[in-house]
Amino acid sequence: MDIQQYIQSGIIESYVMGLASDDEIIEVEKLALEQPEVQQAIDDYSELLEQQAFQNAVAPPPGVKERLMAAIREDDSAGSGAIAFSAHSSASVVTPAMLPEQEISSSSATIVPISTKQSSYKLWQYVAAASIILFVCSAAYNVYLYNEYSEKSQQYISLLNERTTLQASNNIYQTTIKQLQSANDMMADPAMAKVKMDGQKNKQDAALVLWDTRTKDVYLVANKLPSPAQGKQYQLWAIVDGKPVDAGMLDANCNSVCKMKNIPKAEAFAITLEKLGGNPGPTMTELYVMGKI
Amino acid sequence: MNSIQTYSEAELVTLLQQRHQEAFSYLYDNYSSALYTIILNIVPDKEMANDVLQEVFIKIWKQIESYDKTKGRLFTWMLNIARNSGIDMVRSKNYQKAKQNHELTENVYEAGGSIENNTDTIGLRKLVYTLKEDYRVLVELSYFEGYTQDEIAKMLSIPLGTVKTRLRAALIQLKKVIKP
Repeated sequence: MDIQQYIQSGIIESYVMGLASDDEIIEVEKLALEQPEVQQAIDDYSELLEQQAFQNAVAPPPGVKERLMAAIREDDSAGSGAIAFSAHSSASVVTPAMLPEQEISSSSATIVPISTKQSSYKLWQYVAAASIILFVCSAAYNVYLYNEYSEKSQQYISLLNERTTLQASNNIYQTTIKQLQSANDMMADPAMAKVKMDGQKNKQDAALVLWDTRTKDVYLVANKLPSPAQGKQYQLWAIVDGKPVDAGMLDANCNSVCKMKNIPKAEAFAITLEKLGGNPGPTMTELYVMGKI
Repeated sequence: MNSIQTYSEAELVTLLQQRHQEAFSYLYDNYSSALYTIILNIVPDKEMANDVLQEVFIKIWKQIESYDKTKGRLFTWMLNIARNSGIDMVRSKNYQKAKQNHELTENVYEAGGSIENNTDTIGLRKLVYTLKEDYRVLVELSYFEGYTQDEIAKMLSIPLGTVKTRLRAALIQLKKVIKP
């Protein structure tokens, strides 16, 4: 066999690269022992491949070695040859205490940018929290203001009602005062004839007729008569030439000076209790008061 | 590679076989990027490539006693572990599932390789891409995808003998490209 031809056949490269068949491997290894040129060729190509492998080689990420050394150390302390190794599970095994000093300092150095990221993230958390607190406060204040508003507007409405009531009663008082004033005026008027009527049925009953001598208008002040029974009404009579003449019905709502009918001439006045709306003639049994001019 | 010569390869192997963690740390510092690059050539997803890299170093740590320096260089041994682990990962159900999901999202967003590394632009695979098409396909299928020559012969519908001779020719061509 021409050994140079053998060496240059490509079998050496095939062997070194692990591409030779089992038969070829046995053959090469046998020849390598016998022929130094074969061994030399194997060594040369191995070295060439090795050199090539280091040209522009790509460095693995640093974490791989850390995990690896931790796994080796674990294997060592376990004391057995078997390493239960899984790349991912071993990653969780690595603790800072297991790493050499340098690894710790370099790993803590990489934490710095992360922590600044976290702090800016934290800042946003604070800003968000502050906004939420502000929003809640503002909402609560709005609720408070709304309650205050509804309370005040209710108070305003009740005040308005009160004012209306007061005004109404004020009007009533004013009317009453005017009536009293006019009554007072009438009393004080010298041209006003006053006819005092005394009780006929009961002593305490009394009434007063004011008769304007100029206009012949008749006014009645009947505040000392008992309240009329249901369905009954007091009727004023003027006695003219000995005969009773209807001088008008006493309005139950009139409680001071009540204007009655115009009576041109009369000698006396009397009040009887009649049915509502009055009667054409007086019921003498129901004569309450009477007085002569 | 020998710029930081704290340990010779023989010393390193001896210390590793004695389970020296510092030696393992040194091994990782000096070899991880070269092994990571070959893994990325096979497993384009970086997260998964990280997992494979860890797995590879665990295997090295566990199997260092079985390493026989008379049979080859330490790196060649480690390189083969890395290549085989990468191929195992790519053929695993998890990977196929993840790849499908990834392709789905890729289609949705029409984004090119956001997490995937462009496997063709680094390491040995970059050199393989400079080979002529017939050679490139064979190296890709055998070295990076782990198909046997029988499988390749069936896939490409060419005789096994042709696969064998053409692959050897491709590897000789590749060696010329590698030459510094």
